[in-house]
Amino acid sequence: MAENRYIDILDLHKSFNGQKVLQGVNLQIPKGKITVIIGPSGCGKTVLLRHVIGLMKPDRGRVTIDGVNLHALTRLELNKFRRHFGMLFQQAALFDSMNVYENVAFPLKEHTKLSENQIQKIVADKLILVGLEGIQRKMPSELSGGMKKRVGLARALALEPDIILYDEPTTGLDPIMTEAIDNLITDMQRKLKVTSVVISHDIPSAFRISDQIAMVYEGKIVEVGAPESFRKSSHPAVQEFLKKGEARF
Amino acid sequence: MKKWVNWTIVWDIAQKILIGLGKWCRFVWATLQWTFRPPFRPKNFFKQMEFIGVQSIPIILLTGLFTGMVFALQTGKTFSLFKMQNLVGATVGLALTREIAPVFAALMVTARACSAMAAEIGTMKVTEQIDALHTMAIDPIQYLVTPRVLGCIVMVPLLTMLFNFIGVIGAYIVGTTLLNIPSGPFLHHLYWYVDPQDVNGGLIKAAFFGFFIAAISCYKGFATEGGAEGVGRATTGAVVASSVTVLVVDYFLTTWILEYFTDIYG
Repeated sequence: MAENRYIDILDLHKSFNGQKVLQGVNLQIPKGKITVIIGPSGCGKTVLLRHVIGLMKPDRGRVTIDGVNLHALTRLELNKFRRHFGMLFQQAALFDSMNVYENVAFPLKEHTKLSENQIQKIVADKLILVGLEGIQRKMPSELSGGMKKRVGLARALALEPDIILYDEPTTGLDPIMTEAIDNLITDMQRKLKVTSVVISHDIPSAFRISDQIAMVYEGKIVEVGAPESFRKSSHPAVQEFLKKGEARF
Repeated sequence: MKKWVNWTIVWDIAQKILIGLGKWCRFVWATLQWTFRPPFRPKNFFKQMEFIGVQSIPIILLTGLFTGMVFALQTGKTFSLFKMQNLVGATVGLALTREIAPVFAALMVTARACSAMAAEIGTMKVTEQIDALHTMAIDPIQYLVTPRVLGCIVMVPLLTMLFNFIGVIGAYIVGTTLLNIPSGPFLHHLYWYVDPQDVNGGLIKAAFFGFFIAAISCYKGFATEGGAEGVGRATTGAVVASSVTVLVVDYFLTTWILEYFTDIYG
């Protein structure tokens, strides 16, 4: 499988109650790089990301990852395949009945036979990696939005996945925390060579971290390319989005 | 001529009910499949048994005691018209074991534990925690639903037994103190008329009730949409649907038990 077509999204269509959200999305995501998907609110970015991890089934089209058609897998096969993924949700989606340690240790306890000592060490390492040393005993309700996202990232990294999906990782964060999360995403890619797909509204952040940027507009990918070539796009929706997006920040 | 029935509305309602029933059946089928597939999580199962069963003990003791007491009082007053007060123990015993204990225990578990199940799973749904389970390659039905359904199937019959026991104690207290029924005849008739088969019939019902109330409440939680309002709707829906189901299913189970277990009641 070509490295630049590691995740291959082909002619993806999805509607909800007759409303077309995705109308033939085509996108190739290269291996080991950071791809940022931008677009106005409600254009279907999150829906697209959910198709990439198999949380939604398309009406038409397919998503292949390293040559495997995700939507042709059975439920059990898909479950096994998902071990290649880590996902950071918009609101972090930490289990609120568990503390930070239990949250990060959860996938390790479920999928490995590591001893409690080994799990403790991995959890501590992942928390150091996201800059949150020593907060194992805190409950999610005691954490700020940024801390929750970083714990969510530590949990997503626990099983050392090949692909990490980020759903608006910097939404609602202050500029300092936004930069910290951006640095974390680039650090993960540099250190662990993971393939990252980031959904974002934040234009400066997208240009800071991406190897490839794609824009979803009216249910389709209207532009895709390296940050420099993306900026030079002649598509009016891209230019308007960039202009307004950069003015906001 | 005035149209008394709007068939479009009736059809819409019927369609919604059938779609909901179909989805629930698929949900139950998935739950059954995951029950027998590894990995098994005994810790989750015991945790749910503790929540559903052990934590329901105080409310079962309280309701069981007063149900037995009031039932003895009512039957005692009526039976005194025919000078048959001595049969109060047997009447309360039969009513409790066959009907009252399984139904009341299931309703109490619905009110206390099943509403919490729907609210907890519903909150997990709207805060993407269920999606997070999916992305971590863990099936949410196996992780969240299976232990709850199994926990209810095991614990509702046990709580029913407790209800029987405490209800009879309540009836005994009222019978012997307020109604002046001698202790001997009260216990003798209770022992003579209430057979182990009566108790078993009630326990079979309780196990079915446990299955239905847990499966309905978990389904309602999974079907939650929207934010806090959606969670509230799911919780209310779970309690109403579970309570109504207990009463409806009770009739059919009783018919089935009477029909096919004639040796039990014969």
